[in-house]
Amino acid sequence: MEFKKILILVSTLFFSFGTSWADTIKIGFNVPLTGFAAADGESALNGAKLAVKQANNTGGVNGKQIELVVYDDQASPKEAVPIANRLIEKDGVKVAVSGSYSGPTRAAAGTFQSAGIPYISAYAIHPDITRAGNYVFRTSFMGEVQGRAGALLIGQTMQHRRVVVITLKNDFGKSLAAGFKAEAANFGIKIVNEYEYSISDRQFGPIVAKVRADKPDAIYASGYFFTAGPLVSQLRSGGVNAPVIGQEGYDGEQFIKIAGASAEGVIITTSLDRDSNSPEARSFISEYEKFSGNKVDMVSASTHTAIKVVVAALRKAGTISPDAIRKAISQTKLLAATGQISFNKLGEVRKNVEVQIVRDGDWHYHSTIRDQTLLAPPNY
Amino acid sequence: MLYLELFIQGLLQGSIYALIAVGLTIVYGLLRILHVAHAGLYTLGGYFGVLVFNITGSLVLGGLVAMLGVGIFGIIIYRLCYQPILDQPPYVPLIASIGLFIAMEELYRILFGSYGVTYSNPPLQDMMPVGGIYLRQGEWVTILASIVLIGGLAWLSRKTRLGLAWRATVTDAEMAESFGIDPIRVRYLNFFIGSILAGAAGMIVGILNNLVEPTMGSVPSYKALAIIVLGGLGSVRGTLVAALSLGVIESFGTIYLGEVLNRDAIAFVFLILVLMVRPKGMFRGM
Repeated sequence: MEFKKILILVSTLFFSFGTSWADTIKIGFNVPLTGFAAADGESALNGAKLAVKQANNTGGVNGKQIELVVYDDQASPKEAVPIANRLIEKDGVKVAVSGSYSGPTRAAAGTFQSAGIPYISAYAIHPDITRAGNYVFRTSFMGEVQGRAGALLIGQTMQHRRVVVITLKNDFGKSLAAGFKAEAANFGIKIVNEYEYSISDRQFGPIVAKVRADKPDAIYASGYFFTAGPLVSQLRSGGVNAPVIGQEGYDGEQFIKIAGASAEGVIITTSLDRDSNSPEARSFISEYEKFSGNKVDMVSASTHTAIKVVVAALRKAGTISPDAIRKAISQTKLLAATGQISFNKLGEVRKNVEVQIVRDGDWHYHSTIRDQTLLAPPNY
Repeated sequence: MLYLELFIQGLLQGSIYALIAVGLTIVYGLLRILHVAHAGLYTLGGYFGVLVFNITGSLVLGGLVAMLGVGIFGIIIYRLCYQPILDQPPYVPLIASIGLFIAMEELYRILFGSYGVTYSNPPLQDMMPVGGIYLRQGEWVTILASIVLIGGLAWLSRKTRLGLAWRATVTDAEMAESFGIDPIRVRYLNFFIGSILAGAAGMIVGILNNLVEPTMGSVPSYKALAIIVLGGLGSVRGTLVAALSLGVIESFGTIYLGEVLNRDAIAFVFLILVLMVRPKGMFRGM
């Protein structure tokens, strides 16, 4: 553990030295830079840094430069609360963003809420995060919302009836499955079987054998690229050819690298359209690749969006009073890489769900789900 | 048919566990060290395999580097990390080992990137059904490799003078030394062989998943401990039986208990149940 602490110390020193002499506006940022979620953490940090760089290049906020105060939370709830306290008390941030998973984001949300500091979850999807209170917002879909979109996609758009659900057993997979199951019957879907796996699983032989016997029309499988990649490739080589429908956890080039040819035809619900004509999305896609050397993924796009919302709110508020920032965020009307962003009463984002498909080794446009009644997040 | 497939899948998983846990067992048997960093060597095998294959395109070369390279690193870890603290109480090497394991994970992340490394042209992925059993080529290779490697280990320890010296040192190190066996060399050999098995397992899993991640060893780091306890600490035969049984139980458990318990929990419930009936594990003694 000592080693990790030193690393964190070194990296925070590194991040803060460059700009700390100047009169800056600080944005707090917790992100998993070590541990099992470090890959998503790297994308999140790059997305955030790009957004800050772009904001500073276009004049910063009322003449002041923006500084990102970064802490590694290892995607662990027990790291997140001390980090939130440090950001609020020691660094004195007036607004913060989570570039991390649901566990730590949920834990930190309460701390930011009771300190009255606005906090935006960039891509953590647990429903309780925004329920921490009126200072907490989310710029990505709740798990349930995306699960409902999955049901519409499979039952209505693709007209599949017999579906096997493979669920990642954490709050991400569970809330996706809950949304999917709640709407499945309404779209004529019969759930043949549901299997669960844990985040450390990479070997799905038993599930593949059972799914082959189930003979489903389609498979709704939640997971991150590092579980979904092996899962899809093992399903295909195990002779299961039913279409696989996933979600934003798959979203990135890494999934395609792992699953290889098996990735072809996989369809996901997500928030970034690679083939979008929107100048916001186009510029993000090219700028991000230039900035980080990697291709865009859902995590980088979502984090970029979250920081962009914060910057817009800071510019609009014209002060660094947390109350004014909170009010400005709640009134956000902004076009970002992940679409048109505005919030409901609970602080949940309202936007369309993008559906992407893997073709010729890359993510492409499949369809867009615009049913705002189905996609409406809860108001309380 | 489904049951047979689940059983085979269980044996497959179990043989990977066996490759990892046997190395841990022989280290424990000789030195009474719980070598957690063994799982870090397993990850290193995954990296050696994928990096060498991606550069040279040769699976055999990748396998050789993964096994021998990791074997040498095993010796280095013993020499630098464990040998200086062998006379300390057992928790001292255990703590050193846990620290070393975490450091290795973070080092892999810094060296090879947090996104993990994949095979540029994934080998052995095609389905090869034999007699109605659907397994990929890589999975057949896994089963074959564990039989060959663990069989080779058994042959080495039973049929060669080297093995005789090794077993003598495990039974009574001082007595063996008085007969002219160099205990230091036996320890090097011990770590070399144990690490070779871990390196092979790492490479195999890297191919099966087509993904080598810095944290690939985190589950094996504790599950292999459960397996060697199940097998009766220090017993190679017990470890084999424990690893294979656990694989099979997990395979059925994933399907029929998956909503209640996840795969790792199943392993520990099994461990608790066995220890309630047989407090010293399923087997005891070499």
